[in-house]
Amino acid sequence: MLGIRFDKVMPLLTGASLLSIWSLDYVNLQPNRILPGVGYSLQDAVGWWWMFIVTTLLISAFLLSFIRLPTKRLLQLLIVSLLLVFMPISLSSFASNHIPETLTHARTGLGAAFWVLLFLLVLMLIELQQKLKLSRLIICLISILPIISFLFAYLDGGLETLAILREYNARSDQFHQAVKVHITLVSGAVFTSMLLASCLVALMRKVEAAQKIIFPLLNFIQTIPSLALFGLLIAPLGYLASKSEWLQAMNVSGIGWAPAMIALIAYSLLPMVRNTFVALEEVSSSIIEAAKGMGMSPLQVFIQVRLPLAMPVILEGIRITTIQAIGLTAVAALIGAGGLGNFIFQGLGQAAMDMVLLGALPILLLALVADLLFTSAMALFGRQSTRSGVIN
Amino acid sequence: MGNQQSIARFWGVPLFWLFCLVIATFSFPYFEELFRQVAPNQRQVIYTRDSFFALLLNHLSLVGIAAIISILLGVSSAIFVTRSYGKDFLPLVSQIASMGQTFPPIAVLALSVPLLGFGALPTILALSLYGLLPIVRNTLAGIQGVDSAVIESARGMGMSSFQVLRQVELPLASTVILSGIRTSVTINIATAAIGSTIGASTLGDPVISGLVNGNTAYVIQGAILIGLLALSTDSLLDRLQNRLSTRR
Repeated sequence: MLGIRFDKVMPLLTGASLLSIWSLDYVNLQPNRILPGVGYSLQDAVGWWWMFIVTTLLISAFLLSFIRLPTKRLLQLLIVSLLLVFMPISLSSFASNHIPETLTHARTGLGAAFWVLLFLLVLMLIELQQKLKLSRLIICLISILPIISFLFAYLDGGLETLAILREYNARSDQFHQAVKVHITLVSGAVFTSMLLASCLVALMRKVEAAQKIIFPLLNFIQTIPSLALFGLLIAPLGYLASKSEWLQAMNVSGIGWAPAMIALIAYSLLPMVRNTFVALEEVSSSIIEAAKGMGMSPLQVFIQVRLPLAMPVILEGIRITTIQAIGLTAVAALIGAGGLGNFIFQGLGQAAMDMVLLGALPILLLALVADLLFTSAMALFGRQSTRSGVIN
Repeated sequence: MGNQQSIARFWGVPLFWLFCLVIATFSFPYFEELFRQVAPNQRQVIYTRDSFFALLLNHLSLVGIAAIISILLGVSSAIFVTRSYGKDFLPLVSQIASMGQTFPPIAVLALSVPLLGFGALPTILALSLYGLLPIVRNTLAGIQGVDSAVIESARGMGMSSFQVLRQVELPLASTVILSGIRTSVTINIATAAIGSTIGASTLGDPVISGLVNGNTAYVIQGAILIGLLALSTDSLLDRLQNRLSTRR
């Protein structure tokens, strides 16, 4: 019938998923770390019975888009969730079917079809969330399901041949240490810059001329690429440390945590100061007048009125800062600050891709978790996040 | 802006940084004594594996190619999803554009290696993918920010939808779009420098090689050039943006 149009997004995403699992390798199997791997398609990996189920589910999700059914998107959401839960199980099923006990060093690498399918399923999840207008909380609950099935498969022992977990098991102490260092550096930088930013903002609110110096200065720092700033701090810090015993006692030198921390704080100041300042300034003056009229003291006005109203935008500043710091700390591994970036750069140096993943995936995860925490915090303050705003 | 003095003042900041960049690119060999102070134990204190000029050109072309790809793709996809035939994709695309910026660029860069291997190509891919996000986001915001009454009246004047796009929507959104391009390019200059670790030849080379061999002089040379390149590009784009918004 003319005039009826169907949403094209889900058919596209499900169609692409079908194409990928029928044409690309789902996993590959390496007898050990050095020998090249052999690719397996999804059908080879989990057998035609599972392949049939997955294909049927995807085709149903595809066809559902063209049916006029009020609950079709909920059904599609159910299918997407099922497929997400299936993915870790598929890996453990592959391991039990194809890896003989004798191959003690065998590694299962994730193939293109796995990544493409995962990516498309996540896109479908986002798409359905948007079109169904679901809250992020429900999506978080749904994303817990595959994590549970992953843990289940992991505890069952089905995932121990997974290359990234092999890599993890080989250096789990190092990994935990790196995560700890990473989080310490990020939180140290964020807290310090929060304190510094409050002082700077207080100064800027008292002395207007300070704005004309502080903003351009912080903008200037933000423009300098991280690798350059880290590099430029090495010589002066090294010089200072060689002159001062006190600094040496604190383990400060040209490389290591000290230049990393300084650079991280310097980068964190701009988003922090900008958001805090703008948020406090933008509280409408009529509200402030009303509060004063009710007999509040200036301090009360600030703590009970101005600060709570400014809180969502301030939190947004902390969110941006934290996410930025998580990425920059990874780069700081180049100047010996440690953290998860170590795995990335060591892995790149040895062309060991599983090690690169061991560094990069947790960094992504940290950033996503930080994002989630702060957006939830902002939601608590009763306003929608301002993330759709445009960076200028 | 007819008079010469105000033009000089207007473009002064970017010209200053560009001037510093050019001077620095060619003059490091003449400061050998100074760099020897920084790295007294090194036999060689001036990076010579590639000329700084070649590294600069390479860095610029990586960022330039990536920028062209992400501008073309970013602007056209934002236009696509704001037309009636593409509006199904609008929620997904705008959500990806804002969520994607949660991913640290270094992680995107690292993840492109398992897919494409080492070299300039994965760097360009990672740069253009990551650079897409601010451009899509700002183009969307720019187009959606155009007052619908303005569009209605343009239609009422008999403009075709393509004319409305070309003569009304895009010009009105141009400042915001350019600001997205500026964000994208600034991030990419920084990320391209780290691209040295995945085998792209950029101004990050002296820094990485200096860090590996403990040669601080190399690190400083690379870092100064990267910093100056970022400052000149950013101030240039800032002036362009300023130009666009004052001309209207």
